Amino acid sequence: MKKLYSNKLVIFSLVLPGVLVFVFGVLSPICLSVYYGFTDSTGMGEAHLIGLRNYMDLFHDRVFGRSLKNSLFLAIGFICIQHPLAILVAAVLDKLQGKAEGFFRCIYFIPNVISVAVIAYLWKFIYNPDFGLLNHVLQAFGYQGQINWLSQENAIWSVLIVLIWHGFGWGMLIYYTGIKNIDPIFYEAASIDGASWWTTFLRVTVPLMKPVIQINVTMAVISALKQMETVYLLTNGGPSNSTQFAANYLYQQAFKAFKYGYGNAIGVVFVIICVLATVGLNRIFREQQDV
Amino acid sequence: MKKNNRNIAKVFMWIVLLIVAVIQLFPLIWLVDFSLGSSNEMFTNGLLIIPEKIRWDNYGKAFVDGNFLHYFRNSVLINTLAVVLVVIISIMAAFACQRMKWKMSGLVSTVLVMGMMIPIHATLLPNYKIYHMLHLTDTIWALLIPYAAFSLPQGMFLMTGFIQSIPMELEEAAVVDGCGIYRIVFQIITPLLRPSIATVAIMTFLNNWNEFMMASTYLSSPKWKTLPFSVLEFTGEYSSNYAVQFAVMALTAAPAVIVYIILNKHITKGVAMGAVKG
Repeated sequence: MKKLYSNKLVIFSLVLPGVLVFVFGVLSPICLSVYYGFTDSTGMGEAHLIGLRNYMDLFHDRVFGRSLKNSLFLAIGFICIQHPLAILVAAVLDKLQGKAEGFFRCIYFIPNVISVAVIAYLWKFIYNPDFGLLNHVLQAFGYQGQINWLSQENAIWSVLIVLIWHGFGWGMLIYYTGIKNIDPIFYEAASIDGASWWTTFLRVTVPLMKPVIQINVTMAVISALKQMETVYLLTNGGPSNSTQFAANYLYQQAFKAFKYGYGNAIGVVFVIICVLATVGLNRIFREQQDV
Repeated sequence: MKKNNRNIAKVFMWIVLLIVAVIQLFPLIWLVDFSLGSSNEMFTNGLLIIPEKIRWDNYGKAFVDGNFLHYFRNSVLINTLAVVLVVIISIMAAFACQRMKWKMSGLVSTVLVMGMMIPIHATLLPNYKIYHMLHLTDTIWALLIPYAAFSLPQGMFLMTGFIQSIPMELEEAAVVDGCGIYRIVFQIITPLLRPSIATVAIMTFLNNWNEFMMASTYLSSPKWKTLPFSVLEFTGEYSSNYAVQFAVMALTAAPAVIVYIILNKHITKGVAMGAVKG
């Protein structure tokens, strides 16, 4: 058995495809990015090594700073608006029994399976000042006047709304699963003590859900950092970079402004930020668990 | 008194759930509603319309001019291949790292799973160059490689966990019977992993089915473009015909929604399993 399980050739053959896909799909593009980050490449023709100049420029680049601030804004928006709502709805849904439970769970998740391409275009119509759904809804509630949802001041909020709507089902589902895994004994104890639903929610459900909340918060921060597709189609970072994000910015710099080298430098910093954020959050939460 | 309270709570519960359901669903109902009318009807004041005449021909135009069938076929083919690749590769690699005895097993496993932290969009620029150099742009490989590469870490992570939970005794018995490693992996382990394979397949499908950023970067001709391009490339002659644009959006969203509603229990379970462990 031991001999069979340590046959080098067999091990090699089993691991090779995975390693190849990783090297070809992830590692080599990152390495190439590091190289191009040190050049003044325009995407075509010859490129010259220019040392750290791209990184110096990036350090002073206001738009990049704005991109990171926008990611932070999204992350806070997810954590303060989407997640409390999701956890609350999950807790209410858990109390519901029978067919209705599955029905609501199914409905909440539907937006999530729809392509961002459709979602972004649909919301462009919803936000349309002339015939959009949102202004019509406001009119139905008696508000007169037109709001330009995608103006410089409002656009980032509008992006947040789309993302909260689109991702709500996902967050809800994970909290819902977490709540289902809570031992009913805790609830029985709470009800013997005469605790109200709200007290039970705050004192029993939420504390027991801490690990799930931590996973979800980590994922919220990461997805705020990685945001690109929705913004690319909805606002393309505009008006005047008010909804710019790192991934969209590097794409624009490389393919629209023909600063391919600079775009790659942004990419390298972007990867580093994402890795640091993931590792950092995991470490913070792990230390908390140990205490 | 107590009973009364409980009834109020129940009504309140239903109201909350219904409001959320309306918010989640109404934009989609709006979409379908207006896709069946004519463009002029968009400028009414009501929230929804009752179309004067139901215009099914909007969907006809969307189907034909949106190139629906071609893009749908590409999406199904590419995503199925990506799922098969991810499942097979991750089972093999996870087995080798989890069960077999070699020095670097821990390191290789960690590195493969770490790929999860790398943002896909950072590879758009360099991959564009690489595929260009290797003459892979505009081929099916330009999508298959990155789709597999970015779903593999998750697949690997899930499979490692699942393989861990299979008792060693089964394999020991198989070895005594003279089974080779490959037979153990594919004939003994793989069938036991069936629920986990479903999870990995669902996660991979959800990750890639709606992807369009890489597709629009690495592909230039319509040959391998996928379903989102029905929407993305549908303007031009219909740029002022909103109703037909709505129809094309509804049509593009339909396959995923229909499959989700049919398989909703399995998908819910798969996502819950995958996400909590991921």
